[in-house]
Amino acid sequence: MSIATEISHRDRCAIAGIGATDFSRMSGRSDLTLATQAALAAIEDAGMVPADIDGIVRSDMDSVMHNDLADSLGIPDITYWAQVGPGGVAPCAMIGQAVAAIMSGQATNVLVFRELNGRSGRRFGLSAEAQTRVGGAGSYDEFFSPYGLLTPGQVFAMMAQRHMIEYGTTPEELAHIALTCRARANANPRAQMHDRPLTMDDYLGARQISEPLRLFDFCLETDGACAVVVTSAERAKDGPQPPAMIRAVAQGSIPNPQPGIQYPVLMRESITELPARSVATTLYRRAGLGPEDIDVAQIYDCFSITVLIQLEDWGFCKKGEGGPFVASGEIDLRGRLPINTGGGHLSEGYIHGMNHIVEGVRQIRGTSTSQVVGAETCLVTCTPLPPGSALILGKA
Amino acid sequence: MDTTRLLPVDDDLDTGGFFEAARRHELVIRRCNGCDAVLHMPRAYCHTCGSWDGRWEPVGGRGSVYSWTVVAHQVHPAYPTPYTVVLVELDDLPAARLVGFLDGRPPLTAGQPMQVWFEELDDGVVLPQWRTVDTSARSSEPEGTHP
Repeated sequence: MSIATEISHRDRCAIAGIGATDFSRMSGRSDLTLATQAALAAIEDAGMVPADIDGIVRSDMDSVMHNDLADSLGIPDITYWAQVGPGGVAPCAMIGQAVAAIMSGQATNVLVFRELNGRSGRRFGLSAEAQTRVGGAGSYDEFFSPYGLLTPGQVFAMMAQRHMIEYGTTPEELAHIALTCRARANANPRAQMHDRPLTMDDYLGARQISEPLRLFDFCLETDGACAVVVTSAERAKDGPQPPAMIRAVAQGSIPNPQPGIQYPVLMRESITELPARSVATTLYRRAGLGPEDIDVAQIYDCFSITVLIQLEDWGFCKKGEGGPFVASGEIDLRGRLPINTGGGHLSEGYIHGMNHIVEGVRQIRGTSTSQVVGAETCLVTCTPLPPGSALILGKA
Repeated sequence: MDTTRLLPVDDDLDTGGFFEAARRHELVIRRCNGCDAVLHMPRAYCHTCGSWDGRWEPVGGRGSVYSWTVVAHQVHPAYPTPYTVVLVELDDLPAARLVGFLDGRPPLTAGQPMQVWFEELDDGVVLPQWRTVDTSARSSEPEGTHP
């Protein structure tokens, strides 16, 4: 790695516009409609019109293609497009693609989006296996699915169990992550769980899904879309909104990460760590910041245990001490590191990482429904199972 | 378990040898002939030494519990709940782990000894499975039957 010759993108680009649809269990709208609505909102928020957009970045799990969205929006010419995956790993890396396109002169204003009918359409919480024969062709599912290992939640449950074995982590500690996200959602009218308070008794009394994970350790299957407009720092400063400067963005992997996106990670040397560790090293270096400089964070929360492990990997507490850290109140609104201030995937909605970026921008603008007073920096992580991505947003 | 359950693709170019050995009631792990690296999940190329030459090496059928989950929420019609998926670390090769299916929610602890057995499924498919070895009733059952 040639760190010395790395071109710095620090504060060279910014998020100038954000947009989101409502989050629901039944949108009643096509994926294309959801993507178009979020995109129009983000473009308007940036003080632009669709013709100003010349780049589009999508997730590999979007059903809407770049040209579909360009056509729907009436964009006359896209000079750059890209797609990033897999899935929830993508959103911060999608911003990275936009930054790269802008800094290399391939695009001027880049629209980044994620859309899904995650509840009324294809549900991640159900097994997708429809064939009798499973696996092969590099999927390695043949070593897992026949044994009844069928969903991401079951994999994370294995990781949670191992974290409990190695470090004595408890269900009550995991609960604090769910309760914290729910409290933020209760303040956020856009959140799916806005009107649904959650207590420790509710959490512990809820049914087991895949032990040791209970119902409220799982994120919400959601219909919805989010989009943002990335542009140069100079153009963002002329826009109607305070720019959320992209202090730095990073992608990263680990040695011997194992193939695929979920089951084979159980073969990694450690299953109580995530590639977040290496993403953190690169991101902090590029940003010139460390964990002590982060004022608020949106931590990828497909499951509660995903948050706990990332808090350790990102250096907010020592390895193995994630449980006591979250139970101490440090992730609450007045704690050392307020997290998931819109409610997160656990309680706002699951737009596969993109709603975390939108909420991160709100924190930098000062418009969150759970605003962290004086927040200058916001970390957004997309570091679940496979290689990951993350970014740090800052005030101009 | 239901007989309509999911069967593995057992003739994949990179992983078929594992299931071919299972048909002989043999547990094997892929290793590199150049440097003996453990290639698990199985693949053809060894990035440690650059060799494309590998072998399916028989390993002992003993292991220990590394982690597990009791699935309580059913997500597939052929897998009624509750059942347990156990992650087993091989005694012979701790760098390799395999999963197994256990009916219900048997009491498990980390490091608990496990023994492989071979489950005959439809179409001649054989799956290596794991059972606890802490009760004499189970350990006395012959291979190839459900514990």
